[in-house]
Amino acid sequence: MRGVVAVPTRRDVIRWVARGLAVVVAGGLAAGALLAASVAPLPEVAAEPPSAVVQPAESRQLRVCPGPLLSLADDAASAATARSVGAPDLSVAADPETATIEQVPLDAPENAGAAADGGPVAVSAEPGAVLAGMLAGAQSQTAATESLRGFAAASCVEPASDSWLLAGATDVGRSGLVLLANPGEVASTVDLRVVGETGPVDAPSGLGIVVPPGSQRVVSLAGLAPSVRTPVVHVTSTGAPIAAALQHSVVLGLEPAGVELSTPVAPPATRQVVPGVVVTDDRGVAPDEDHADGDDFPALRLFAPDDAEASAVVEIRDDAGSAVSEIDVTLAPGQVTDLPLGTLDPGSYTVVVDADAPVVAAARSTLLGEGEDPILADLAWSVATGALLDRAAVAVPDGPGASIVLANPDGEAVAATVTIGGGERTVTVPAGGAASVAVQGGDRLILDGVEGLHAAVAFEGDGGIASIPIAPPGPLDSPVRVFPQ
Amino acid sequence: MFPRVTAVLVVQHGGDRLRTTLDALRSQTRPPDDLAVVLMDADDATRRLVEAQRPSHVVSLGASQPFGAAIAAVEQTLPEPGDERSSLWLLTEDAAPEPAALESLVASLENARTAAIAAPKLVDWDDPRRIVRFGRSVTRGGRSMAIVEGELDQGQHDDLSDVLGADPVGMLVRHAVWRDLGGLDPALPVVDDGLDLGTRARLAGHRVVAVPGAVLRFGDAGVAGPGSEPGGRAARHRARIARTAWLHRRLVSAPAVLVPLHWLAILPIAVLRSLRHLLVKTPGSIPGEFAAAVEVMVTPQRVVRSRRAIARVRTAKWSALAPLRIRPDEVRARRQQAAEARRQRARGRADDLQFLQTGGGWVLLATLALSIVLFAPLLASGGISGGGLLPLSNEVSALWRNAAAGWRDIGGGFVGAADPFAGVLAVLGSAAFWNPSAALLGLWLAAIPLSGLGGWFAASRLTERASLRVLGGLAWAVAPPLLDALAAGRPAAVLVHVLLPWLAVLMFAAGTSWAAAAAASLVFAAIVACAPVLAPALVLAWLVALPLSGRAAVRLVGIPLPALALALPLIVQQVGRGAPLSLLADPGLPHGAGEPTVAQVALGQANGTWGRWEDALGGLVAEVVPPPILLAVLLAPLALAALAVVASRRLRGGLLALALAAAGFATAVGATLLHVAFSGERTVPVWTGAGISVMWLGLLAAAILALSTLRRGAAAAATLVAVFGIVAVAPTVVAIALGRTAVGPAPERTLPAFVEAEAGSDPRVGTLRMQPTADGGIRATIERGTGATLDEQSTLASTRRDLTGTTESIATLAGNLASRSGYDATAAVEEFGLSFVLLGDADPADPAATAVHERARAALDGNPQVVATGETDFGPIWRFVDAEPDAPGARIPDPGPVAGWVVAGQLMVVGAALLLSIPTGGGREPDRRPPSVRRRRRRPAVVAAESGETGTDAAAPDDTAAGGVPVESPAVDGPADPREASSEQRATVDAGAPERRGDEGGGRRADEA
Repeated sequence: MRGVVAVPTRRDVIRWVARGLAVVVAGGLAAGALLAASVAPLPEVAAEPPSAVVQPAESRQLRVCPGPLLSLADDAASAATARSVGAPDLSVAADPETATIEQVPLDAPENAGAAADGGPVAVSAEPGAVLAGMLAGAQSQTAATESLRGFAAASCVEPASDSWLLAGATDVGRSGLVLLANPGEVASTVDLRVVGETGPVDAPSGLGIVVPPGSQRVVSLAGLAPSVRTPVVHVTSTGAPIAAALQHSVVLGLEPAGVELSTPVAPPATRQVVPGVVVTDDRGVAPDEDHADGDDFPALRLFAPDDAEASAVVEIRDDAGSAVSEIDVTLAPGQVTDLPLGTLDPGSYTVVVDADAPVVAAARSTLLGEGEDPILADLAWSVATGALLDRAAVAVPDGPGASIVLANPDGEAVAATVTIGGGERTVTVPAGGAASVAVQGGDRLILDGVEGLHAAVAFEGDGGIASIPIAPPGPLDSPVRVFPQ
Repeated sequence: MFPRVTAVLVVQHGGDRLRTTLDALRSQTRPPDDLAVVLMDADDATRRLVEAQRPSHVVSLGASQPFGAAIAAVEQTLPEPGDERSSLWLLTEDAAPEPAALESLVASLENARTAAIAAPKLVDWDDPRRIVRFGRSVTRGGRSMAIVEGELDQGQHDDLSDVLGADPVGMLVRHAVWRDLGGLDPALPVVDDGLDLGTRARLAGHRVVAVPGAVLRFGDAGVAGPGSEPGGRAARHRARIARTAWLHRRLVSAPAVLVPLHWLAILPIAVLRSLRHLLVKTPGSIPGEFAAAVEVMVTPQRVVRSRRAIARVRTAKWSALAPLRIRPDEVRARRQQAAEARRQRARGRADDLQFLQTGGGWVLLATLALSIVLFAPLLASGGISGGGLLPLSNEVSALWRNAAAGWRDIGGGFVGAADPFAGVLAVLGSAAFWNPSAALLGLWLAAIPLSGLGGWFAASRLTERASLRVLGGLAWAVAPPLLDALAAGRPAAVLVHVLLPWLAVLMFAAGTSWAAAAAASLVFAAIVACAPVLAPALVLAWLVALPLSGRAAVRLVGIPLPALALALPLIVQQVGRGAPLSLLADPGLPHGAGEPTVAQVALGQANGTWGRWEDALGGLVAEVVPPPILLAVLLAPLALAALAVVASRRLRGGLLALALAAAGFATAVGATLLHVAFSGERTVPVWTGAGISVMWLGLLAAAILALSTLRRGAAAAATLVAVFGIVAVAPTVVAIALGRTAVGPAPERTLPAFVEAEAGSDPRVGTLRMQPTADGGIRATIERGTGATLDEQSTLASTRRDLTGTTESIATLAGNLASRSGYDATAAVEEFGLSFVLLGDADPADPAATAVHERARAALDGNPQVVATGETDFGPIWRFVDAEPDAPGARIPDPGPVAGWVVAGQLMVVGAALLLSIPTGGGREPDRRPPSVRRRRRRPAVVAAESGETGTDAAAPDDTAAGGVPVESPAVDGPADPREASSEQRATVDAGAPERRGDEGGGRRADEA
């Protein structure tokens, strides 16, 4: 429209400069506001969600002891022909000591010798009589028959609906029996799933085992998973919870060469602590040995239940807390690994496993016989245990060279009190290390100030070796936080 | 002998009108014999003027008094009437008789001996061709109406003779009859006094005649009668007085036995008439309505006196008056005329939106297509779930119960205030009454098209350019906060985004229309209900709008009222708890979402990502360009355009828009700091999307204003802004389309089939739901019937910081059920009426949650008080052994009377707003805008430059103003309140004027043309 080129007048220039300045100022203000909002420490309004920590009402405390060692007849596939070899020594501890403890034997229809030797025993205290964790029982037995020889001890365990047994083998000469006790009032249906060194074992007969109330059933591990060197048994139940145990016995040639009764390990976790692993001999097998067959060396059994490869660091610590050996291990998915612990000086050790996936763990100790090339005389399974609460009761059955081992995997020394039959002793457990106190069969122990520690009773003597885990009370009794909105 | 006529003149102000009147009196063809004058509060000049006429009687009154009282004051001083023929002529200073007036009046009384009162024709002082009022009668309903009012005098009423009454000014009354009747009734000081006098004369057996030949020029200045002072206040005052007189007349004329009934009916009728006032957009008359009702109700002595006065003189039957009333068909005809006049006024007033011509159709089409592409899979499933979505209650009655104060069916149940959002859901769900949950799916499908339409309409208030309107529509329909809310399943945030532009449109219109103001108040309430966190920003915007809108502010004042009424019970309870900040918690299902950083908020992202560019094309894009920088570049055109508004001519509106954006940003940043609600073990932050929506609205408005002032290249710039904005949200759109978001098709049920089957026979069946939490705890909730619903959620429950007795019982029950315990659950099962325990699945990657799940499962398996019922998709379920159907503990208790009063109060406020918002006011409401003038398309820049600012004239693409001349005359205003209408029109012009100056209207326009 305009005929001539408009020459910007002075006013135009001023106007354009003013407009440009306005935009710059506005942009500056916006950027300033943004910066101020990002940098300024703005007050946050936040509150804690309301919740209540519910302490479950007191209920009956119950422990089930697995009962006498069983010997199989020649026909190994048939568990129905098991027969007990004598009665175990049973020891019970509770706090307060005056609490009424009931011991109810359970039926053991599959044990032909139950009438003479008894069966599993349910140890219980009325609701409110003892606090959770303050009832304990343990049993021990020395066997010397044609097929069983050695010393076996086991703790009486809380029934659970989900437990892991790490022990045993079913290759030549080894046999395993899974003992399933149902102390409840309703029947329980149990599924046993076995995993070995080559992966899960397909065993339909392990599924849907009905355990009637108040009785024990015995399942031969060889029947489920023959020729497995490193079985891990996962016991799950619906209905009443189950107290499971695994009897592991070895016959080398015609010589019985050790027996152990192993109870469930701590549930899968990325850190596992196995206290009180006893090494009696410096003739071990190196961890990187590919063909480490047999039972006659200390080893750690590891399994990661998640179907994925996991890597773990295994630390073997002595009582002072220094790591005498550190082993990196890769766990193949779905397979069980038996890791030889290498050559160690005789003594007691704590094995700490740190993995990048939840694992279960147990350690095997061995006692060799006399001679130049001795064969196995006895073995023991030390299982990973959960961290203790502040207090715990411990029962010690008869056995050779018994001692209670308190392991402290964490960084600060702990002063714990061990009360043995009224006599108090203060024990300092060094950071990362362990301390042991010699005890006698039949002793009733009360541990105080042991929160976070792991404990076991270890037996070591000429007659054999064995280990009893001191487990914290099951999670079922512990307080739980509830968010009711 | 001639009949003696005494003129009685009431003087109040004096001045020219008095002089004219006195002159007119002197020039009568038949002058009055005597002149009696009443001086009210008169000054010396007036007094001298009157003295000059040598009146026979003068009475001075200190203060001004009603016409009847003034006449009575001087009439007392007159001697007894000599005979039947002597008469009084009632005059005011502003009633100047034409020369033949008195002669005609006297003649009519002389000719008819039964006639006692003769009434003249009152014509306009300045325009004698226009009849002000002539004669007066009542309708069947008792309403007083002038027989002729406001018509041009073409002799069409010269056949009028017998009437019921008339206005008292200019009336010639036989003196004896006057004395007999006792003069004008003091109970009717202002209006209908002449009508009443005529009625009594009729009842006493006399006639009242209208004399068309007698003409008085009448100033109607309020000496007699209500006057004609302009202004809404005066109009409302007149309406109130008329209503008072009407009610008084009703009580006076009714048979004695019916008077109590009439008295009792006064208030209910006032309520009903108030509803009508709302419908016809005269809410200002409501106080007068009630004032009149109360005044009449509390002054029975006036009624008694008036009834006695009638009883004393009555000789004829009431039925004798029937033929003199205004016939119903006449009333109907007048009403039709009025409606026709309104239609005439309303014609051509509708906004010339040019919906299709300026791209509205394309916006609708594009957004509909996008919506179908995104949500077609949901359509097939018939429902929607995920994120913050839950089904709605199946019955409409339950929806409304949950919207009302009373029993809150959550967290074990308690009595408390309802979330206003529950009311929004009730409205939404009632729209799909056959299956309320389908309304949520409908919302998801309609959200994008509705937002597009809203954005287009809001933009059409700012500009006429098609490109900018389309920009407004598209940029609002695919705004990041809307897509994030749709992806995260947040119905409240979706509603906020859909409603915000409509609030803006209605606020623009609220200055000129009661209906729009009421609708704005309802939308305001809905938005605040959906996002309480917006309340501070919106109230701030309202506070700014009030002074900016001048006299139109009267309509804006009430806008927050419905929101306040809905939220008040909640405010009382939360403040009572000492947690006022909890009021800002998001309503609906509390569920967390990504918490955005300040920078993300500034880039419009509410979900804690950078517009999902991190995952775009499998992360390929993010490897090349960092997502924050990419997003910033894509949104830069919008931000720059918005900031540029400070350099444009539309500075004022632009600054307001930028201030709105800042308020939105502050709200969103503030929301990130607020963690006031809880869901199990998690604290739930307030959703930032609502604040971001407000920010987006401000930015978009500023950008449109800025671009609308561009002479060239606006379309190109708008395209750039829109295309970049759409690319910015592309990853989110793709994520929604591929179903990678929280929202998905609704599952068949929200609780296991066992429970659903039970709920078929027992709709209140209780299920204890235990959900393992991340830290190894348990979240325990009680769900009723077929499961939790969205409408039963309550912020009172979700923001509670302490346990109550009820929640503690639930915690104890759940904690013990999840443990091996000697706990006896019977009492708790009975208290809550529970039947089932459902243990939710734990996150398999979380060992603590898995452990607590196993623990609870083992404990429940071994618990003899429950029986395992089965494994379900939701987890294992158990049934309580002592569960009983239709348990007393499950029933909804009576909420008590307070809840009823609260609901009644809320209904009253919301109902009033609703009635007022119904657009029945076509033509009733004054139009503030000059008539629409079509502009030529070749001047778009100019038009766009000056079409509306925010504020009062913002309704105004039509507002080319310069040549606009108000064409309406007050005469064609609706009959409801003609004076009010014309006065408000004047007010509008006042209010609009400064705006136009601020706009640098005409001069600038001329420059540019």
